Amino acid sequence: MTHQEVNLYFAGVDIGSTMTKVVLTDKAGNLLSFIKGPTGAEHRRLANEVMRQALEEARLHIDDISYVVATGYGRLNVPFADRQITELSCHARGVSSLFPGARTAIDIGGQDAKCLRIDNGRLASFVMNDKCAAGTGRFLEVTASALSIRLEDMGDISLKATRRVPISNLCTIFAQQEVVALLSRGEKLENILAGLHDALASRVAALARRLGIEPELVLTGGVAKNIGMVKAMKESLGCEILVPKEPLLTGALGAAILAKETYKKAPAAGEALPTKSRRLEKATFFNQEYR
Amino acid sequence: MSGKNKGLSKAREIYLNRSQRARELKAAGKKIIGYPCVYVPLEMLTALDLVPYQTCGDMKEPVTEADRALPHAFCPIMRNCLHCALKGKNDFLEGMVTIHSCDPQEKTARVWESYTKYPYFHFIDMPITVRPEAVEYFKGQLDDFRKTLEVFTGKKLSKDRLEVATKSHNRQRALVTELYELTKSSPPLISGTEIVQVVKALTSLPVAEGNDLLIETISEVKKRTAGPEKKSARLLIWSSTLDDTDIMQVFEAKANVVMNESCGGVRAYRGEVKLTADPLEGLADYYLNEITCARTFRQATLGETRKDYARDLQSRFGYLKGTIKDWRINGVVMLLVRYCDPFAFEMPSLKDYLNSIGIPSTYIEYDYTTGALAPMRTRVEAFIETISR
Amino acid sequence: MYPLRAKVNETYLKSIEAIQAGKPAVWAMLNFYYGDPILKAMDIEVVYPENYGAIAAAMGVARQYLDRADAEGFPTHLCGYSLTTLGYASRMMKELKGQIPPEAPLGGMPKPLFLMSSAAICDARYKWFQALGRYMDVPVWPLEAPIPGIKEFFIEGYYDKMVKLGVKHLRDFVTFVEKMVGKKMDWDKLDKTANLMIEVNRVWHEVNELRKARPCPMHSRDFWSAMPAALFLAGDLEDSLRLYQDMYREVKDRVDNHVGAIPDEKYRLLFAELPPWHSLAFFDKLAERGWDFVIESVGYHPPIPVVLSQISDPLERITKFSLQFLVGYYEDARKQNVLGGTTAYPYLKYANEWKCDGALLHPLISCRSASTHLPYVSDMLMEKLKVPSLSIEGDIVDLRLFNPEEALAKAEPFEETMDYYRKMRKQERFDW
Repeated sequence: MTHQEVNLYFAGVDIGSTMTKVVLTDKAGNLLSFIKGPTGAEHRRLANEVMRQALEEARLHIDDISYVVATGYGRLNVPFADRQITELSCHARGVSSLFPGARTAIDIGGQDAKCLRIDNGRLASFVMNDKCAAGTGRFLEVTASALSIRLEDMGDISLKATRRVPISNLCTIFAQQEVVALLSRGEKLENILAGLHDALASRVAALARRLGIEPELVLTGGVAKNIGMVKAMKESLGCEILVPKEPLLTGALGAAILAKETYKKAPAAGEALPTKSRRLEKATFFNQEYR
Repeated sequence: MSGKNKGLSKAREIYLNRSQRARELKAAGKKIIGYPCVYVPLEMLTALDLVPYQTCGDMKEPVTEADRALPHAFCPIMRNCLHCALKGKNDFLEGMVTIHSCDPQEKTARVWESYTKYPYFHFIDMPITVRPEAVEYFKGQLDDFRKTLEVFTGKKLSKDRLEVATKSHNRQRALVTELYELTKSSPPLISGTEIVQVVKALTSLPVAEGNDLLIETISEVKKRTAGPEKKSARLLIWSSTLDDTDIMQVFEAKANVVMNESCGGVRAYRGEVKLTADPLEGLADYYLNEITCARTFRQATLGETRKDYARDLQSRFGYLKGTIKDWRINGVVMLLVRYCDPFAFEMPSLKDYLNSIGIPSTYIEYDYTTGALAPMRTRVEAFIETISR
Repeated sequence: MYPLRAKVNETYLKSIEAIQAGKPAVWAMLNFYYGDPILKAMDIEVVYPENYGAIAAAMGVARQYLDRADAEGFPTHLCGYSLTTLGYASRMMKELKGQIPPEAPLGGMPKPLFLMSSAAICDARYKWFQALGRYMDVPVWPLEAPIPGIKEFFIEGYYDKMVKLGVKHLRDFVTFVEKMVGKKMDWDKLDKTANLMIEVNRVWHEVNELRKARPCPMHSRDFWSAMPAALFLAGDLEDSLRLYQDMYREVKDRVDNHVGAIPDEKYRLLFAELPPWHSLAFFDKLAERGWDFVIESVGYHPPIPVVLSQISDPLERITKFSLQFLVGYYEDARKQNVLGGTTAYPYLKYANEWKCDGALLHPLISCRSASTHLPYVSDMLMEKLKVPSLSIEGDIVDLRLFNPEEALAKAEPFEETMDYYRKMRKQERFDW
């Protein structure tokens, strides 16, 4: 009997609109691997590739995994998943495991923003914005591209601001026009960027206030890596913000934890455990076997 | 129409091809009259042997024709209805009866009348309160409606005719109530999706044929061995209109929708019209008081000089409490159509009420297009995840 | 012109003083001459949150109230004035326990004795006051406002039934107000108030008729400045009557001397519906190009005068005058077969009688009732009169949506359009 047989392994697969993330854990909750890759239009159905990499890193085989939970925008495109759970529940669980005192979580992704209230480690209530780019990472992405700056440099540049130029336009498109106009009027780039961060922060803060904010507040998602945004959010919300070391991890981590919990509860809940052997293949429209 | 299908399969067939029966009846010489809102007293049409037909929208239609006359920031359902009308989908109608239930209904009514050429058109005005003089005024409106109907048909709308029609429509209400009894069980014997199809069918058939369909359906469902699967969440959906199976499916993937509190669900079928000496009085009273649409201003006491928010909430929403209890509902979804003002203003107060009776609820907004379904799915599933522990 | 504007400002400040001294205040919606005379006769100070919403927007303080309303769960597509008021009420009642917020401009709005809304014009106007019940345990009285179909109105007995509803409703309202303020209605005073209201509006109507002259002696900006005294019955009605009579004389004088509101009237325009209150200087720029705005905002105009002096019951007089605001146009609308939108037909009359070369339409993204009829109006003016329209978007509280530079850039090409349609009208034997 090898050491692998006494342990159990679980997988969380988070297919976001921009990035796909996979987390593998063991039954003690140890993080064995975390892999992320761009989702992209063609890669939406290539969750198996990211999974393959994660398995490699953890030195595991797909057959070793006891339960797989898929989450995120593309959660229906994971043929080897045993269950789909929304990213809202998964984020709540993931954030809670990293920050046991967390009561509120805000996730600003590439194409949406979510605010969650957490109670006893679980999702209690939520609000989402996915109809307007102005309150999402897209807002900064579009500007970075228009100004030919790297998205990852925006935060640092904005911290050099001597004053924060208010951006009055609500709409991402019009905001770009405003930025160009401001630059041509001689406004400094760092001041404009500071204003842009404020604009995004205030949109997200308005969303969060609909839900009510209770500390501790945790910020996740790609935008959380932007130090200028963290600062702007703190000011908009008027409270401390905790950021995990790896802000893209929480969804997949939560999914893996929920995979373990579902597996453990299954016998009592009268649910059958998956017995089929999984095939690590890309999703197609014609594959009937995986339900 | 194939005579082979009965009950649920017939409802499904009609849902997919709504106007078929109306067209058959028109070919046989009947006059079909369209109506866009459940506040229109159909009894008065039935009494004169006219066939009422609800002019619904179609979520799958890309709305283009309405741009001529209605701005984009406007009730997407009415825009859709107008688009379908201007595109000629309702060309079998002899006329329309429109009504001042809400702004979009009132404003679209004028446009509808201007841009189409039906032989008959009548607009019924409605008061906003249920005060005695308001009910009296509404009765007067129905009397004027009677006058133009009589001119159009050349027949008298006698008390007898109206009573017969009212009894038939009351029968339909009672049958729908009976149908909804079948969602009380766990799992419900009939799904929310199936009921949407049945109600859609009812709004496409003469009342007597609708009653027959209901009787068949109830009998079929009672005998069922393979009904909907039991899900952990039993939902009530509160909305202006939920009449599309694609939307219902988003909910029923992970929940049992046991009550559809909207036009498209139970709203048009509660209680019954009283048979009064002046039949129009019973109708005016019923439609103003019993239809639970947010457009009507209700308060605990008429002209009250002292107000109490809790009592106000109870008078406006108390009717939901019994339903929630009897149907063992564990979550309410407030499904709002974008740009719908009456329901939007109502929503936070309803949430307060639901909080006061300890029922979890969530608010989801959509714009009556197929693009709205995917974002709706995540929100619905997340809500279900929070209430099923 | 300016004395009227100054008077309205003065009235507003006096009202705030009176309220601060403890006089009962009522929050009301614009109710088209129906509920206002009752409140006036009972000597109650009236605060109009709709107007306050415009002030808050113009002074740049609306955003915090809008954000608050958002946080309270009110969907953002709702009328900006309603969201401002709901946010304000939440701040005042929940956070400040009934004290007027210190940051509120112009003295803010005090907690009212009761709320008087109106069904006229749109749903938001009565649902919003009902929603205020979340923050204020004060009674709400929504005034009924019937709105007939143009053809249906001519069914025998229809009008009488509308009047019956209006009179009974108003009588009950009077009883309600008496209970709320603890004193009886002075019926003589109401009688006098009703008469003054009707006469003030009659004179005001005549002033606007003078604007048919060429060149037009009075610009829309002056209309909007001067209208509150007639529309909201602001201030002492006898004073107002004198001022409108003075105004009539002044405007008549201009007509007699061919003095226009702007130096060189090249184009005559109508404006629909609600003006961009915060950017009225925009019209000065257009005036430089010779654009004279000769008629506007049907919703704010006085009813077409009607003789009501033979009616002894003041409540009936008030009801009929209020109904006249809408139904005054119905006969003409029916003759012209314009059925769409009761606020749409009057623009046909306006364009025709005030000889307009073009229409400037201003749809507002969060005010559907002031915007829905505009496509219809545009269609109607072109089809029946060959008068073109220019549409420039804005919002009632999100002022960023109105872009004056962009709007001015559209002016030049639109002038070409207006020139073209002048020729078209000439060919069709119109006289302008």
